[in-house]
Formats: sequence, C-alpha cells, structure tokens
Amino acid sequence: MSSKPKKQNYQATAQEKTQAAVAKAEKDYFDQTYAPLLREMRDTSEREDLGGLARGTSQADTMQALTGGRPSLAAATSVDRAADIASGAVAQQVAASSQGLAAQRQRQIGVLGTARGQAADAQAGLAQAARTASTKQLQAARAKQQIRDARFQAGLDVGSAFAAQGAKNLGSYDTKEFKDREINKPGFFTRFLNPSSVYGTEDSMGQSRMKYGTGLYGLGGDG
Amino acid sequence: MALYDNLPLQKAISSISSLPEVKDPEKVYADITRQDYENYLQDYRGFEERLIAARDDTSLVDQAREDARRQAQIAGEIQQRDIERYGGAGLSTVQRQEQQRALQRQGALGLAGGLNTALISQRETNQRTLADLINIGQGVNRSSLQGLGDASGMAANRAAAYKNAKAQHSANMISTGAQLGTAALMFFGI
Repeated sequence: MSSKPKKQNYQATAQEKTQAAVAKAEKDYFDQTYAPLLREMRDTSEREDLGGLARGTSQADTMQALTGGRPSLAAATSVDRAADIASGAVAQQVAASSQGLAAQRQRQIGVLGTARGQAADAQAGLAQAARTASTKQLQAARAKQQIRDARFQAGLDVGSAFAAQGAKNLGSYDTKEFKDREINKPGFFTRFLNPSSVYGTEDSMGQSRMKYGTGLYGLGGDG
Repeated sequence: MALYDNLPLQKAISSISSLPEVKDPEKVYADITRQDYENYLQDYRGFEERLIAARDDTSLVDQAREDARRQAQIAGEIQQRDIERYGGAGLSTVQRQEQQRALQRQGALGLAGGLNTALISQRETNQRTLADLINIGQGVNRSSLQGLGDASGMAANRAAAYKNAKAQHSANMISTGAQLGTAALMFFGI
C-alpha cells in the first residue's frame, strides 16, 4: 500500500529556488538601474530643444558661408546681397528645425516604444501568473474531487462487502437445525455478524472472519 | 583571463549568497508585473498622451514665420553695418531704396518659401509620428487581446472543469445507486 504523499516531496528544487532568486535579483537591479535611465531619457526627450540646437549650428554655418570673408565694398554696394543672405538663412533655419523636430520625435517614440514594450511584458507576465494560478486551482479542485470520490467509493466498497458478508452469514442459517431451534436462537444482528458455523461444530471456530474482525473473541462470546 | 583575475572572488560569493529568497514565486511574479504596469501608468501615460497630441504639432510652421522675420532683420542689419563701414559706400538714395526693396521682397519670398517648406516638413514629421504611434498601438492592441484571450480561455477551462466534475459526480452517484441496489438485492436474497 502506498504511503500518503508528503508535502516536502513537492517543494521547489535548489535549482528552481536559485533560478527564482537570480531572476528576482536581476529584476530589482533593472528597476534600480535601467528603469531610471528610461525615465531620464523620457525627460530629456521632452526637455531638450534639439531644434534650437540645430538652428544655432545652422545659423553659424550660414553666416560663415555668406559673410565669412572680409567685408568688401562690392558686398556693401550690392543691391541683393542682404536679400540673398536672408533667403538662404531662412531655408537653412527651416531645414534645421525640421531635422531637430524629427530627431526629437524619434527619440520620444523610442522611449514610448520601450516603455510600452515593458508594459506589454508586464501584462504578459500577469497573464502568465494568472494562467499558472488558474491551472493550479483546477488541479487542486480536481484532486479534491478525486479524493471525495475515492473516499466515497472506499466507503461504498466496505459497506458493500459488509452487506454481502452479512447476507452470506444470514443465508448460512437457512438450515433445518437453526430453523427448528427453540432456545438460544441467535438474533438478527448475531446472525448477520456471524456465520452459522460459529454455532455449528467446534472445529469451525476459525472460520468466523466477521467475529474475529469485530473483536467478539475474548469478550465472552459464545464461541 | 585578466579580467576574471581582478574579480574579488569573496565579493562574488557573498553577492550570490545574498540573493533574495523567493518563497512564493507566483505571488512575487504577480506583484512585480502589477507594479510594472502601475509604474507605466505613473511614469509614461502622460508622456504618451502628450506624444499622441504632438501628431497635430505646428511648431515648425510657427517657427518658420519667426525665422523669416528674424533673418530679414539680421540681413538688413548686416547690410547697414557694411554700408556704414564704407562711409555710405557711395550709394545713391535710389540704390539704397532698391536694396531695401530687394530685402523686403526676398523677405516675403523667404517667408512664403520657408512656410511652404515648413508645412511639408511638419506634415511629414507628424505623419511619421502618427505611423510610429500606430505601430506602438498595434502592439498594445495585440498584447491586450492576448491577455483577454488568456483570461477568457482560463475562465472557459474552469467552467469546463466544473461541468466535467459535476458530470463525473453524477455518474458516480448513479454507479453508487446501482451498487447499493445490487447489494440490497443480494442482502434480501432476491
């Protein structure tokens, strides 16, 4: 007969414990080290004026290119030189602003994508945890039901065996000897619990399994 | 190898031995993931909303107007300094007026051209931002549907398990009744 399952046999192994501990340590490290970096990048991507930086650089380049040489009389007397400078500078400024804004948006999208990826990981993790818990719950419910069924079945088997043996015992009294007996006629429960052989020949004592099992021997029984 | 030689072995061992003990991995897992999601809501939801609103950004166009005005002013000041540097540079009044007109004309053209370019750039940037946001949103939708699918699947499994258990119990009771009946028949010798 197998022994009852022991809880200690179902404990996590050393490998599982270490794996969980390392994973927890890594998660803590991530939260302390990398998560603030992403928050920092979020703030930088909103605060940093990349367009302004690009416009400043562009303005310097434009002026260096268009007015970088020595001042000259020809330049001073030119009718459209100032207009050309203004035109070129505006185009450069717009291009710089566009590049700066595009870079800023790209950085912000990167931050959001990473944050969203982490949120998706969190959701997936929660679903995984719920799935694990659900599976465990179902297994526990199934196990409890199996135990209930097994207990009931065991009781039923014992009861059936008891009734079958009792019926057999009662049947053993359907003989002329017992039917004609006037005194010391065994009652129903005595007949139910003991086969007629108990009251028969002396050498049939050992056949009374029911009597032996119910402890009637030694209690002043009639054997 | 030298890298590993420099690693203080004792420190490494003490680090490993100081790992946190995880008694209930399921609970820790659930707590961490819930906390991660709360962190996301706290740290990034506002950022996300501002970025979504940025798909209607007009900062480039606004800046282009300011740039055109400012660059025309700078160019005019450069011209004025050059003329003063050469004592009027021998320019007649008509020439000075023509310079002013050219600057104004170019300023207007620069503003128009700059605005057009800025509008196109703004539209392009906003469209790209929108496309990137849609891509992120697709991932959000996918993962949320996945989560809901998991939850509904688990609920369905539980319901099916309950139904099966009930059916099994019912079958057991019928079987029990039959056994009891058989036992009764045997008992009464019928």
